[in-house]
Amino acid sequence: MTIAVLDPPAPAAARRRHRLLDPTGWQTAAGNLLPGTVMFAAASLLLLVGALPVVRPALVHTGLAIAFAAIAGAWSLRRPLAGAGALAVPVAHLAAIALLYAGSAAPTILFLLVSPLWTLSTHAGRRGVPVAVAGTAVVLALPQLIGAHLPGTATMPGALLLGPLVVAVGGAAINVGTRRNADQARDIARLQREQAALLAQVRSRADELDTASRILAARAQTMTSVIDAVTEQSIIGTDRDGTIRVWNPGAEKMLGVPRPEVVRTRSILDFHVPEELASAAEANGSASGLDALVHAARERGSDVRDWTYVAADGRHRTVSVAITPRSDDRGTHAGWNFVGTDMTEVRATERMKDQFVSLISHELRTPLSSILGYLELVMDDEDAPLTDEQRQYLSTVERNAQRLLRLVGDLLFTAQVESGRFTLQPAAVDLAGVVRAAEETARVAAAAAGVQLVVDVPDDGLVVDGDAVRLGQACDNLVSNAVKFTPAGGRVELVLRPAWRTPDGEVTGSPAPDAAPVALLSVADTGMGIPAGEQGQMFTRFFRTSNAQRNAVPGVGLGLTITKAITTAHGGTLDLVSTEGVGTTFTMTLPVPA
Amino acid sequence: MHSAPPSPGDRPAGADPAGPTRVLVADDEDDIRQLVSLAVRKAGCQVIASAPDGTAALTAARAELPDLAVLDVSMPGATGLEICAALREDPATAGIRILLLSAGASPDEVARGLSAGADAYLAKPFTVVGLVEQVRALASREAVA
Repeated sequence: MTIAVLDPPAPAAARRRHRLLDPTGWQTAAGNLLPGTVMFAAASLLLLVGALPVVRPALVHTGLAIAFAAIAGAWSLRRPLAGAGALAVPVAHLAAIALLYAGSAAPTILFLLVSPLWTLSTHAGRRGVPVAVAGTAVVLALPQLIGAHLPGTATMPGALLLGPLVVAVGGAAINVGTRRNADQARDIARLQREQAALLAQVRSRADELDTASRILAARAQTMTSVIDAVTEQSIIGTDRDGTIRVWNPGAEKMLGVPRPEVVRTRSILDFHVPEELASAAEANGSASGLDALVHAARERGSDVRDWTYVAADGRHRTVSVAITPRSDDRGTHAGWNFVGTDMTEVRATERMKDQFVSLISHELRTPLSSILGYLELVMDDEDAPLTDEQRQYLSTVERNAQRLLRLVGDLLFTAQVESGRFTLQPAAVDLAGVVRAAEETARVAAAAAGVQLVVDVPDDGLVVDGDAVRLGQACDNLVSNAVKFTPAGGRVELVLRPAWRTPDGEVTGSPAPDAAPVALLSVADTGMGIPAGEQGQMFTRFFRTSNAQRNAVPGVGLGLTITKAITTAHGGTLDLVSTEGVGTTFTMTLPVPA
Repeated sequence: MHSAPPSPGDRPAGADPAGPTRVLVADDEDDIRQLVSLAVRKAGCQVIASAPDGTAALTAARAELPDLAVLDVSMPGATGLEICAALREDPATAGIRILLLSAGASPDEVARGLSAGADAYLAKPFTVVGLVEQVRALASREAVA
């Protein structure tokens, strides 16, 4: 048995109990000694009272002395002697009996033989039986040897032979039986120990199981209560075939069907619009509606998108559904989770906002078209040239009309970015040219503000994949911001360099392993700087720094939002470093095609 | 901006021996319609009809069969895109060259305009110079049909 491997150390109490029950223990020792002790005591008494004759007192006294010395010695050890030592007491007793028999000449005394012969016959080894036979022979022969006269001597030669023979046969039989018993007892003891160990093990397993199931039950309870607490989101769990298994109060509220009516009986597909699933199936090449529904989640591990749910009353809800695969405890795919947020009102509001922004920008552009068109006609009319003064006034009108137009464009563009309808027209764009153009655009304003503009771009250009118009707009925004926020006498530096961006976002000036080549544009000014607490909000729509407001710097807070959106759409980054009173540096990186 | 490239044989339409290019101008904004008409004349073409809405524009196009139609996209009655599609469907009007004008300048709007059958697309606000160039380019182009 391999029980020892599994057997945990027995507790101290059990170990103590084991030692007391041990057949080689103190009780066994006492059990072995007691009959001999009693019998020799009885013999002493019989000799003392004269029931047995004392023929040769010296032999009798020596015999009793040896017998009790052996008993006393054995009792004093308080434990059974092992091996050859175990033979010491019975051998001493045999010697004592021999002396007593010779000294008393009474065959009755031979009853004492029972004790040592029993002890020798039941001795664990095989040596006991020959020792018993030899001892018996000595006991029976001693009176003959010392010439003592014993009654019934005529029978003695026969007894001398018969006695040891009987002892030999009987002793051998007892010895075999004893040893078998001892083996059995050992087996039983071992089996008992193993059984106890197994029992302990089973008990500890049962305890573990009990604890585990209580933890599981507590967890399940926690999960259920959490899921039940969600009333504004639908949490629906299904089998792999779409049969609903989990339906939380949020789903009840959103779809108007109580849990008992759907769990195990309805499919998730019952709450979808078949046409929407069919067109999704066509788009992603799925065979069934369910496949179409979970296609992206199966491919990428999770998927969030808008789906239309059909409530019990037939109303359609636009729901942003997060779909994830669900696994059972063995990690096998068991079904799908659908966590949905009702976006019907939100999407309607977004649509309205989009429409509103489009309408407003259209309505604003139309009069601006007239203003700018007719201004152009007046200013370019060769038949009726303008005076310098008139030309200057109309230039102011035109500049402001252009400014209004840019603002309308920015608003519309921001709305497009927000609604995700912002697309790029990518082509190879030389950023050096874009930067030079931005400098040209800002040159007049910079000169007027007394700000020095410095451009440092590679002579052979730096080409990226991008939308030239949008990149120009982003660059213009950065440069015009830098000029606007720099007081007279300051300086704005536009530097364009090839650089490398590592996967963890670090930008270096030299190639590094795994680093991707990028174009690095930095626009550094010596302006008023941005307070540290406001730097995180710089790319937020309509955010204006306290410095901008205090210094009445014109703007509405859209430029950086747009610049950031354009950079992000190009797969680039836009960061800033600023110290109040020292200046600000915006750093833009754009991926360079390999 | 989003114009078709001028054809190689670019020449003033006014020099055409068959007479000046006949142009229909449609825009619901009076001021813009007037501005466009001015630009068309500057390009050496003749404005033969001027429509304040989509329905009138379609009627005029079918009745007058102009060489070129300059259409605003968002007009009451019928949008420029709808007129575009209607003109292209009818063999009698399919050959009319079309220039769309719109305040919506997003790339997908341009794409929608061109896929509706327009020959060129100009975003508002346009410069008069740009519009004149565009009209000249279209006027000098051979009829599509």
